[in-house]
Order: sequence, then C-alpha cells, then structure tokens
Amino acid sequence: MTKPLSIKNLVKNFGGLTATDDISFDLNEGQSTGLIGPNGAGKTTIFSQIMGEYRQTSGTIELYGTEISKLSTPARIRLGVSRTYQVPRPFAEFTVLENVRVGLMPDSIWKMITESPNVDREIELALSVGFSESDLRRTPDELSMGDLRKLEMARTMATNPRIMLLDEVFAGLTVGEIDQIAKLIQKMRSENMTFLIVSHDLKALEPLVDDAIAINYGKVIAQGSFASVISDKAVRTSYLGT
Amino acid sequence: MLEIIIQGVLLSGLYALIAVGFTLIFSVGRVLNLAYGAYIMVAGYIYFYFSQLLGLPPIAGLLLAGILGACMGLLKYNLIVKPLKADHIAVEISTLILAVVLQSAVILCFGNSAKILLPIIPGVIHIGNATVTYNVLVATIASWLILIGLYLFIKRTHVGRAMMAVSMDTKGASISGVDIDKINMITWGISGFLGAIAGVFFASYTQLSPTMWVAPLIIAIAIVIVGGIGSIIGTLVVAHIIGFMEIISVALISPQLRGVFTMLLIILVLVIRPKGLFGREEL
Amino acid sequence: MGLGLRWYHFALWAGFILVMALMPEFVSKGTLRTMIFANFLAIFAISWDVLSGRTGYISFGHPFLIGIGAYTTAILTKRFDVPVEYAIPAAIAMTMVGGTIMFLPALRIKGSYFALVSLAFMELIYQLVQVIRPDLTGGTRGMSGIVTLTRGAANGYYLSFSLMIIVALSMWLLMRTRLGTALSAIAMNEESVKGSGLSPTKLKLFAFMTSAFVAGLGGAFYVHYLGSIAPRALFDINFVFTIIVATLIGGASTIVGPMFGAFFLTFLLEYLRPFLPGAERYLIYGAIALLLYMYQPKGLYHIFMSQLDRFKKSGDDD
Ligand SMILES: Nc1ncnc2c1ncn2[C@@H]1O[C@H](COP(=O)(O)OP(=O)(O)O)[C@@H](O)[C@H]1O
Ligand SMILES: [Mg+2]
Repeated sequence: MTKPLSIKNLVKNFGGLTATDDISFDLNEGQSTGLIGPNGAGKTTIFSQIMGEYRQTSGTIELYGTEISKLSTPARIRLGVSRTYQVPRPFAEFTVLENVRVGLMPDSIWKMITESPNVDREIELALSVGFSESDLRRTPDELSMGDLRKLEMARTMATNPRIMLLDEVFAGLTVGEIDQIAKLIQKMRSENMTFLIVSHDLKALEPLVDDAIAINYGKVIAQGSFASVISDKAVRTSYLGT
Repeated sequence: MLEIIIQGVLLSGLYALIAVGFTLIFSVGRVLNLAYGAYIMVAGYIYFYFSQLLGLPPIAGLLLAGILGACMGLLKYNLIVKPLKADHIAVEISTLILAVVLQSAVILCFGNSAKILLPIIPGVIHIGNATVTYNVLVATIASWLILIGLYLFIKRTHVGRAMMAVSMDTKGASISGVDIDKINMITWGISGFLGAIAGVFFASYTQLSPTMWVAPLIIAIAIVIVGGIGSIIGTLVVAHIIGFMEIISVALISPQLRGVFTMLLIILVLVIRPKGLFGREEL
Repeated sequence: MGLGLRWYHFALWAGFILVMALMPEFVSKGTLRTMIFANFLAIFAISWDVLSGRTGYISFGHPFLIGIGAYTTAILTKRFDVPVEYAIPAAIAMTMVGGTIMFLPALRIKGSYFALVSLAFMELIYQLVQVIRPDLTGGTRGMSGIVTLTRGAANGYYLSFSLMIIVALSMWLLMRTRLGTALSAIAMNEESVKGSGLSPTKLKLFAFMTSAFVAGLGGAFYVHYLGSIAPRALFDINFVFTIIVATLIGGASTIVGPMFGAFFLTFLLEYLRPFLPGAERYLIYGAIALLLYMYQPKGLYHIFMSQLDRFKKSGDDD
C-alpha cells in the first residue's frame, strides 16, 4: 500500500544554514505522529517543504505515491495535505464563517461564481472546532489566541484533507482549550485522518499520537513509539535538558 | 564626448540631491513619500517668492526654503504618517492626495503659468566646447557637499547611527532604547530640508510650474528603487546611471526618449531584483 | 449562486435606474454633460476598485489601461476607417493585453513596489505615444475629429449611463459571489489564500483581466464621446488622483462606493467652478478627500452602513 506521506533525504539550506539535514520518514494511513525537537530544530521548515511554501534544496516528498516537488501549494492541497500555522494567519477583516468559506472554495473561478457557498458546512466546521454560535460573525481582532488556533484548524479542515500537519497546536491555549482541540483530533483519528503534530506540550501530545519523530539541528535523532522516543538519551539531553 | 561627460556629471549630481531626501525616509520609515515631489515644487516657489518677489538675497531665499521645507516634513510626519501608523499603502495614497492639494494651493497663490527662476549665481563657464552655467555647477558642487555631509552625519554622529539602526531593524533598535518616534521626526525634518534645497536647484535648472513635481518624484522613485533602500552610496551610483542614461539618450538617440529608459529600468529592476541593485537582504 | 439578494436590493437598483433615466426631463443640458463625465468616471473608478480595492494591488497607473482602450479605437477608426462596432471590441481586447502586461510584475512584487511599477507603466506609455509612430497617435498633440457615437447631451447621457449601470450591476453581482470573497482575501493575506488551496495567480489574473476589460470599455466609449484625445490630459497623475479619490471617498471594494464617489466628486467640482474656476478647485476637493480618508479610510459607504446598523440596532431596542 502506498504511504500517505513519504519523505526521503530532505535537505533545505538557508544560505549557510542547513535547516533540515537529510531527513527521511514515512507516515502510515490513519496514523498519528508527533514531531518534536527544540526551537529552531527545523520542524516548521519540514512542514513548509511538504506544502511547497519552500522548495527543498534536495530530496523527495511523495504524497500517496506522487512526487510533489514540482507542484504548487494548491495542487498539493488537492492531493489531500493541509497544514496549520504556528502563528495563526487569519483573513483579518473576515468573520469566522468567511474565513472558513475561503478554505471550502474550489480552486476554480467558474465554480466560485456559479456555486453558492455551503453555509451549513461552514457552520458545521466552525462549531466542530469549538466555536459557539455567537462567535461565527466575529472577526479575528475579537478572538483569543485559542480561538485563532481553532480557526486555523477549521480552515485547514475545510480543504478536506486526508493528512493534517499541525504546527504548535497547543501554544498559548488554556487547559480547557487544549482539551477541546485534543478531543477534536481524537475524533478525526477515529475517522482515519493521518496526522503529523508539532507540539512542545508533550503531556498533551502523548495521548494523541501513536509514534514520534525527534529532530535536532535538522537531523532525525530518534524515531519510534512515543514512549521510546521521549526516553531516548539523545532526545533527553538535547530537548528536555535532563 | 566631453560634453556628454560634463552634462552627465552635472545632471547626476542634481539627481542625487533630489533622491537623497526620499531615500532617507524610505530607509528609516519604510514608507514612500509621494508628496516629496510636491515639496520640491513648493520649495521652488518659496525661493521664488522670497528672492524674486521680495528681493531677498539668494542665500537667504535658499535657507528660508530649506527651513520651511523641514517644517513641512515635520508637519506631514505628525499629521499624516503617524496617525496612519505607517500603513504603507495608506501613507502613499494620502501623500499622493497631499501632492495634488499642494499643487492646487500653488496654483491658487501663484497662478497656472510657468515662471522662470533667475539663476542663483549668474554667469557661464566654457569647458572645451561645452557651456556650463555657474548655476548648474554650483548645484552639483552643493549636491556633492550635502551628500558627503550627510554621509558623515550618518556614520559619525549618535543620531545618524540611530537612524541607521532604525533603518536596518526597527524592532531591534527600539528594544535597544532608540526613540523611534524622535528618529522619524528628525528624518522627516532632514528630508524636507534636503528636498527643499534640491527643489530650488531643480527649479532653476528647468522652470517653475505647478506640475513640475511629477518629474523629480519619478526620478527619486527610480533612484531609490534601482539603488535599493538604505544606501547613500547606492543612491549616488544610481543617480549617475540614470543621469548618464538620460544625457546619452538625449544626445545620441532622441530627446523625446529621455524618460523612457528610466521607466524601463524601474520596471526591469523591480521585476528582476525587487530589492534593488544595492539593496540589503532584509527587507 | 448565493448572491444573498433581498427585495430592497432590487428596489434600490430599480429606483436608482428609474430616477437616472428620467434625469434628462428635469435637468439642464449643462448638468447632463456633467453627469456624463460622472458616468465615465464611475466606470473608471469601478475598474480600479475591482483590481485595487479588492486585491490590494494598488494601481497608480490606471490611465495606462484606459489609454490603451482609448488610443486603440481612436487609431483604428480615424486612421484605418475601421467601423466602431469592430474598433471598440478590438480596443477592449488590446486593453486586456495591456492588463496582462501589467499583471506580470504582480507575480513577483506587491504593495508599494507594485504601485510604483504601475506608475512607471503610465509614464512609459505617456512618453511612448508621443514618439513612436506620431503619424498614428498624433504625437504630443493627440488626435481630434474622432467619430462620436451620439449627438446632443441627452443621447450622450443615455449611452454613458447605460454603460455605467451595466458595468456597475454586473460587477456588483460578480463581487457578491464567492469570487469577491476570494479576491478580498488576497488583499488580506495572499499566503493564506494559497494555504487554503486557492491559486492567487489565477485570481489575480482574473482581477487584472476584469479591470482591464472595464477600463478598455470605458476608455473606448469615452474617446468616442469626446471626439478627441490628448496624452497630457490622459496619462496624468491628476487623473489617477481623481479615479482613486472617487473610489476611496465612496468606499473601496464596494462597487456602489466608487459609483457614488464619482458623482459626488464630479458635482462637487462643478459647484466649485463659479468660486474657483481653475485647477485650484482641487485644493478643496483634495483637502476634503484627505480629511475623510484620514478619518475613515473605508469611505462614505462604510460610514453610511455603520450609521444604518446603529439605527437598526437602536430600533431593535425600542
Ligand atoms: N526563511 C528562512 N530564512 C533563513 N533561515 C530560516 C528561515 N526559516 C527558518 N530558518 C531557520 O531554520 C531553522 C529551523 O527553523 P524552524 O523550522 O522554524 O524551526 P522549528 O519550527 O523547529 O522551531 C532555524 O535556525 C531558523 O532560524
Ligand atoms: Mg516552528
């Protein structure tokens, strides 16, 4: 069976700095994987290369068996991969519903013009990430960090992905909000979504993932079950500082 | 040949002077002051008023124009740029509107027709078979002196170094205790002063008319864009590229194509190297 | 199509069209002539709005597009005796080619940089029309004696108003679809548009093409109304200013705003004429525009709508 995502020998140089240095890993269908590592390890840069926001210096990325290095970001999204951003990037003057609407649009001008927005689906998505009815017409400047992360999730889900890449999903959230997002992820896991999740909050991450990959200075330093990765000696010294 | 070189050097000096005030604001505040050309024009009229209508000595007219130019810069920073919180597009649109307002104000005060400015320093000098007016020669020398002075000011003084720090990294400068607002005020003041001085020379080089602000604005834009932000040396080099390009196309191709190559250069550089030929990487 | 149309939309548009259609019965020829200019300005402002108001790619060189439309049809009809029925569509097509040229830099640059390139385009074409084939373009002096399509103020008014209302209504409807939402999204965050699975390039190209279509249409009919064309008046920063300010005063990104702004501007300038006969009228006009823009960059439409909202809300409280 083809893997949803298969990365081989991924290298990305920024001038003299090697942000990802020969990274290889696969994701299995319906599996959830944690991606951990200290700040600056290269986690976000991996996401950006998968989405095509940065072009890799060398190496290959396959989505369901298709080599995607030459594809545009929207083309990759059509293949079923989608991400959230560490720093949420909402459309600042749109309401929550309109933000979700953009995610739901087909990439065809003709269809944008001729088909109506699916408002029911917009509402369903917004409510599913934990917005209340009264939030739907709010604009981002009225939302908390937690709400903005929810909005990122909703817009990402709106593109109808089979693989979701979540970047620092829990950063800046209250305990209640973490719980809400965790429940949402669990629900999607039961519906066979494939996840790659970056988080510094290992406690929150643990129940959500099957496996983990630890990276440092752009290199994979440990890979395997979550428990084995966080007890790995190299991971403990580099990341947990113990 | 000699004539081309002489004319090129003279014109380029004037262009460098025109552009440098514009570059300063773009570097420090990262906003394009589209009313800059209008400053240049208004300064020309101020000089005209004081020295030709009231009969003050030229140097007094020049200084008054410079001081009033600095005041206009300060006013604009405080009344328009600051309230818009350096929202770039908003600043550009409002400065464009301001330029048209200034243009109409000048028409109201001085009428629509063009005025000839008497040379600041009369007389001509012959170099080979080229005739050079003292006026243009003085403009070029003044331009060089001002540029050197500005360069030293930025490299040697506290305020100058703070300006440089802000232009490289506003946040970083602010964290390390630089008063961004003060530095911006100073920059707008200096820019207004320089623009005004350039305006007087430019007006005496061409002539004084309410619509004369578009040409120097475009030249300033071209030099900043092609040179890239934050570099006085870059400004100087590109002023010479553009100055010589114009003189050569006038002399060898057709006077009417004077501006065409400048426009093409702007478009090409912006598309191929948006950061400019000498631009720093961190935009 | 999900246009969210309500009965009052139909009522307002129908009422507006009716009032405007009866206008020649009630007002003087002079006023009608003023309104013809307002109609054309509205078309140009709508064209600007579709591109710059929506996507945030500010065009400081819109006369570049308008001028291509105007010059193409002027040259075809006057120099080659092409009938207007063919010349105008050709002019629109040419303008769309011009729109494509203007779009190319937008692939790489945005913000202030794009605004400046568009300004450079306008200056470039201004200088080029004067030197390249002046036997065709009329050089610095331009052209006169171009066929006009209508005789008399009333007919000119009907034609320009019909054009304007067709453009306004179709753009208004188009921008109410999800396309309008997607184009606005580009102004807010182009990266997020991409991250939502939409190609900004495709959307931007569409915006440039639509804007060019409207600009070409307006430019072509305008020159056949005036019967003459002069490069200095056309490729002029004051003209850019008039278009942008009409849009901003009315309210960018709304279609109705630019239309309203164009009429407001034209009449304001007209009423100032007895007091300030020359270009100094722009002093008052510019000052008003500047103050208004500083106070509310979203324009009168926005101020009106928020007042209406407040009125509705206080009505609910009773
Ligand atoms: N656009 C960029 N240009 C230069 N260096 C970058 C860029 N993006 C990231 N980096 C560098 O690459 C490294 C990895 O960054 P990143 O992937 O954001 O780390 P993480 O997400 O693991 O914290 C860091 O050293 C960062 O400074
Ligand atoms: Mg990161």
